[in-house]
Amino acid sequence: MNIRRHIFAVAATAMLSTGAYAADIKLGVSGPFTGGSASMGVSMRDGVRLAAKEINAAGGINGNKIVLVERDDEAKNERGVQIAQELINNEKVVATLGYINTGVALASQRFYQDAKIPVMNNVATGSILTKQFPNAPENYVFRNAAPDNIQAPLIAKEAVEKRGLKKIAILADSTNYGQLGREDLEKALKGYGLTPVAVEKFNIGDVDMTSQLLKAKNAGAEVILTYAIGPELAQIANGMAKLGWKKPMIGSWTLSMASFIDTAGKNGNGATMPQTYIQSPSTTAKRKAFQEAYLKEFKPKNNNIASPVSAAQGYDSVYLLAAAIKQANSTEGPKIVAALQDLKTPVDGVVITYNKPFTATDHEAIKAKDVVMGVVENGRVEFLNAEDAKPKKK
Amino acid sequence: MDMFAQILSSGIAVGMIYAVIAFGFQLTFATSGTLNFGQGEALMLGALVGLTCVDTFGMNYWVMIPIVCLFGMIQGSFVELIGVRPAIKIKSEFGWIMSTIALGIIFKNVAENIWGRDALPFPAPLPMEPMNFLGASILPMEILVVVGALLMMLLVEFFNRKTIYGKAVVATANDRDAAGLMGINTSMVITFSYALSSLTAAFAGVLIAPLTLTGATMGGALGLKAFAVAIIGGLSSGMGIIVGGLILGIVETATGFYVSTGYKDVPGLILLLLVLAYKPSGLFGKSAIKKV
Repeated sequence: MNIRRHIFAVAATAMLSTGAYAADIKLGVSGPFTGGSASMGVSMRDGVRLAAKEINAAGGINGNKIVLVERDDEAKNERGVQIAQELINNEKVVATLGYINTGVALASQRFYQDAKIPVMNNVATGSILTKQFPNAPENYVFRNAAPDNIQAPLIAKEAVEKRGLKKIAILADSTNYGQLGREDLEKALKGYGLTPVAVEKFNIGDVDMTSQLLKAKNAGAEVILTYAIGPELAQIANGMAKLGWKKPMIGSWTLSMASFIDTAGKNGNGATMPQTYIQSPSTTAKRKAFQEAYLKEFKPKNNNIASPVSAAQGYDSVYLLAAAIKQANSTEGPKIVAALQDLKTPVDGVVITYNKPFTATDHEAIKAKDVVMGVVENGRVEFLNAEDAKPKKK
Repeated sequence: MDMFAQILSSGIAVGMIYAVIAFGFQLTFATSGTLNFGQGEALMLGALVGLTCVDTFGMNYWVMIPIVCLFGMIQGSFVELIGVRPAIKIKSEFGWIMSTIALGIIFKNVAENIWGRDALPFPAPLPMEPMNFLGASILPMEILVVVGALLMMLLVEFFNRKTIYGKAVVATANDRDAAGLMGINTSMVITFSYALSSLTAAFAGVLIAPLTLTGATMGGALGLKAFAVAIIGGLSSGMGIIVGGLILGIVETATGFYVSTGYKDVPGLILLLLVLAYKPSGLFGKSAIKKV
């Protein structure tokens, strides 16, 4: 045992020293590249790859190249935990980007927190993600995606304020994501003094939504608010068409998933959701450059990015981290965190220009004002309000 | 009343989906006393092969059906030859359980690698506009599922009762050893019953695919529900399978509406437990005494 430990120690020192010699900056990437959430995971990964390639082509971070260590967590909590330990202990990553699924993030982040290695959540939206360790002296969890406690009020605002709909049904799946989101939605509705007339649940893989929709219909719902992912959202849209009961569908950003848009077809038209980024030719120069580079590099089907939000946020997450590593001039976790919390130079991202995005107490880069409403139109997500399509004044 | 009609019609449509898959369980159980636990995967493969025919090769839905049926037969024979026959040969009591489950997992992994794990839409052969029937909205596709499933079961029953090959199947089902002594190639009959059972599953797959979504994971949940239907209805009764399917489908939809959508799956499973406890041969099954 002793000898083995000794050999291990020698090997580890050897690995560490060669690592330092080559001066590669290893970044972990964890997300589902197969499975029901794969369209989000793969788009995120491609966004990350694109940004890393650009940074390396421009000379890297202070002369050091970024090396990505990508792992498929299959949207499974236990895989996420294994990967976190592997990336920390074997790969010795400097930081990890990713997490599509709130559940996987919640299960895996504690390892990074304990190892003092920063995590940049670029897609997962569960509100508590960045507040998972309230008692820790330092928080290693950051996020550049719109959290649920921003999305839910926007969904409620769209239904209640903009459209004047008061009788509301909530349909959410039975996962962590769906049920945490449902709580946020109910809280947001309470702000308007409203209680939903129906709150219904379904499981992943359910093929028939008739009873849920009938209950909503029977309760006189005027609008359906959703918190679920693509395939089941498509079953809701198709089920409404079957019942001949067409009500607006407003829900979390997952209504922009390819698996919803493609499988719901024309029944999905009009579905409205908050978005941080919409693939559209007429926005800022940075967005245009990003779109062209992405389409050229990965050639997605019909030139539609499978999940544009994930791609853009994945891309930005690399630049945010790179800026912090550059400023810290170090790859030690605590120093990167200190730099992230006090970024001196603005980062020109695809979603927004990040001007001091994080502070010691606020690890959320995206604020409510950075989120716009999107609507599904003929197989694509478009801007709901035309004025959002124009470049914003800084 | 409208609500009730709607619940009933949706329940019947879902129930027939379960029944048509459960029917495949019954086919193999009758001849060999074994079940294909990869029945859900056979359904999934049928649906995905059908999708490739329709989407990639631009085939007509109706032209694609015989191809999928043929594929189902080959797939079923393969399962029998690789997984079930060796277990029967060495008289292993439960070997076939593990091997059919293992083959099911392998098929699922293969499908994930070929078609990916995203849910895919399946083009419908009939218009997807709902029709109004006694105040309930019904899709033409749902009627097709009910009619198609009944037709297929009738065909198989007709085959078993009226043709000489069917009589060989029935004889094997009644007493394998005696049938063997009478010159019936019983292992061939068992292979055939597996081929037939996967054929029905593959057919069920393309039948229901336009209603559900198509994907590598579609077989899991449906296969489990169909297994419950087979147990509730009775593994030796074709009639029981249909009734069992309808009971489960209607109970699920009604519970979702009248009790809570969170508890939709519970009554069906309670029913399964009750049947197992008080009438293990199923509601319509003949109780068999196993001689030791």
